[in-house]
Amino acid sequence: MKIKYIFKYLVVASFAMQLTSCTETEVEQKFDKTPTERLNARKSELQQVLPTSEFGWKAVYFTDNKQLGGFTHLFKFTPEGKVDMASDFNTDTKIYTSDYGIQLGSTVSLVFTTKNRIHLLSDSNPAAAPTAALVGKGYLGDFQFLYYGQENGELLFKTNRNGQDVRFVKATAQDWTDLPKNFLMIPNVVGRNIYGANRGLEIIDGTTKKTYDFNPFTTITRFTSYSTATEVNGLGIGYTPTGIVVSPAITVGEQKLSNFVYNSTNGSFTATGTNGVSASIKYSDTPFVISDDYKNFAPGQPQKVVGYLAPNLTAAQSNSVLCRTLLDKINAGLPANQSLARVQVVFNNAVNGTYIQYLFNGGKATITHFVTTKVNDTNKTIVLTDAGWTHNAATIAILKDLDAQLTSPDGLYIKKEAFTIVASNKIYTLANASNNGFRITAYQL
Amino acid sequence: MKIVNTYKKIAVFVGVLTLAACAHEDQPTESQLDFNQPLKTELDKWIDTNYLVPYNINAQYKWNQNTVDNTRYLFPPTLDKVQPALEIVKQIWLASYATVGGADFVKKIAPREIVLVGGVNSNSNGTRTLGIAEGGQRITLFEVDNINKKNRAIVAEFIHTIQHEYVHILNQNKPFDEQAWGKITPSGYTATWHLETTAASRELGYITNYARSNVVEDFAETASIILISTKAEYAAILAGITSAKGRADIQRKEAIVVQYFKDAFNMDFYALRDEAEKNTTYVINN
Repeated sequence: MKIKYIFKYLVVASFAMQLTSCTETEVEQKFDKTPTERLNARKSELQQVLPTSEFGWKAVYFTDNKQLGGFTHLFKFTPEGKVDMASDFNTDTKIYTSDYGIQLGSTVSLVFTTKNRIHLLSDSNPAAAPTAALVGKGYLGDFQFLYYGQENGELLFKTNRNGQDVRFVKATAQDWTDLPKNFLMIPNVVGRNIYGANRGLEIIDGTTKKTYDFNPFTTITRFTSYSTATEVNGLGIGYTPTGIVVSPAITVGEQKLSNFVYNSTNGSFTATGTNGVSASIKYSDTPFVISDDYKNFAPGQPQKVVGYLAPNLTAAQSNSVLCRTLLDKINAGLPANQSLARVQVVFNNAVNGTYIQYLFNGGKATITHFVTTKVNDTNKTIVLTDAGWTHNAATIAILKDLDAQLTSPDGLYIKKEAFTIVASNKIYTLANASNNGFRITAYQL
Repeated sequence: MKIVNTYKKIAVFVGVLTLAACAHEDQPTESQLDFNQPLKTELDKWIDTNYLVPYNINAQYKWNQNTVDNTRYLFPPTLDKVQPALEIVKQIWLASYATVGGADFVKKIAPREIVLVGGVNSNSNGTRTLGIAEGGQRITLFEVDNINKKNRAIVAEFIHTIQHEYVHILNQNKPFDEQAWGKITPSGYTATWHLETTAASRELGYITNYARSNVVEDFAETASIILISTKAEYAAILAGITSAKGRADIQRKEAIVVQYFKDAFNMDFYALRDEAEKNTTYVINN
């Protein structure tokens, strides 16, 4: 009967196999199609959409909005793999033709396979580096863009190397003709303080207003920052014919503001949202940020010296028009071989207390104005009051107008700034608290 | 035995069921892969005719992230520079070796791929990498966008790169006697070669400062400098060295190079130099 058992087991085993063999082994499908089908669909979607836009596509490419600004690129693709391209990387805004390809990397990607304007951002030649820190890295640019689909007719990409978002929007004929106009915007972004002693960013969320200092703009990096006494926010800037595009966008509630329009009457840039939301980069004689830095200069504090130094600080934008006028006036009143070298304020010197010193080039002796100080905690100012000069009235006459600003009865706003100029020394600005438009730039010495 | 027969019948039935059970599965359909051939431009056809067909070398000028170092900020060459660069490579390198080593020489020992990069490849120590030879199979040439066939200095530097990298490819196929080489000037090799001058390095028995980076680079530099120089230019280099020992050391290295080409490839190294010189002049004048 042994064979009978073998058959029995075999039959049982066979039935068991029957029961399991057609078990549903397929996992639940999250997608309708296989990964290959989906990748192929993505690829043909990108292939088809690129040449469809009549005037091609426009992208303001921010390669790294923590340290660099945006570069506008215009692309016109042909189905045969050619691309016409223009950019505002430099003033050569002519159109050049090169190759592009759709390649499969970690996903479907658009690659500019032979050199064109966009590759200027990825030049490791040390001579092409915008800053010392970026030597060998150029502008951190990429030219392989991973395709992530479409949104409102715009193409969404992420750069292959560092995952920056790049958005292709449909370009117009005007975008191509107006591209050189981007450069006309640069002086406006750099700014002119004829409109006010201070430049700030004012964000209105419909009801309340928040203000920041808008710090000097660096054209080589297209980058700046806006700051309060306690926070500094980097801001990359791209030029447009009518204003600027910023990245990261200014976030107000749910709204993101990035397109600013220039107003030539007051030098401001404004981005307008909905429901009364707006952001403006503008000028004012009234400071946008008033800090508590004056406390460090109050009577009883350790000695601190701040000084305006020619020529390093002569061109500083944070010197107001009134300040420059008064400095020029002093120099104009001196003999040809002499000029003002320094205006420095020594606070809380152990021997001589607080005093303003005027130092000269060309052998003229230093003139000192002794003062007493008191702070006004309500206005956050420090008031310097006359306590006598080292020289007679005739000698000091030339300095009187400038000195009157520093010893204004309304006091001085004294503020540590978020930027440096030429040297690595901290920068302070001293402004007449009467908000009359006097503001002078000084190093901490 | 009746029960056995019953079982047999059941077993056959079950067996048939098993075989038939999954017969309704989908049959393979057409491939998902894209077999479309990319459109070939005139340049692509030129490359096929001059590199792919005669030498089985793929000259790649379009960007492919898999053949370059993606951590570096490099970019592909400008289209107009590709053919001039490849013409130089063909005339001075491929043609010279074909003439001296025989028509099939580079067909057998050649990189299977030449990758062209338009921009500078900067290193963190401030130096530039002009070329890379990898695994005996691929040569990457940088700074192709700087090519100017009428500028002898630029052509010479470009050719220096090719000759240097090709010597690496030859070494990667047939090694030279690194131990014997290393004994000639054992103490002058340094990782900070870029801080040394070529003039001072020659006094110590190295043909260039880069030759001081290691034995392998020393061999490639010695061979390639001789190849890109005329007989008179090379004689002038030797004559300019003050140290008799330095000069003698370079000549000992030269002898090893000459012997290597003879033993490994049965090639007259000086004939190769003369041919390369002839072809360089031809490129610059045409």
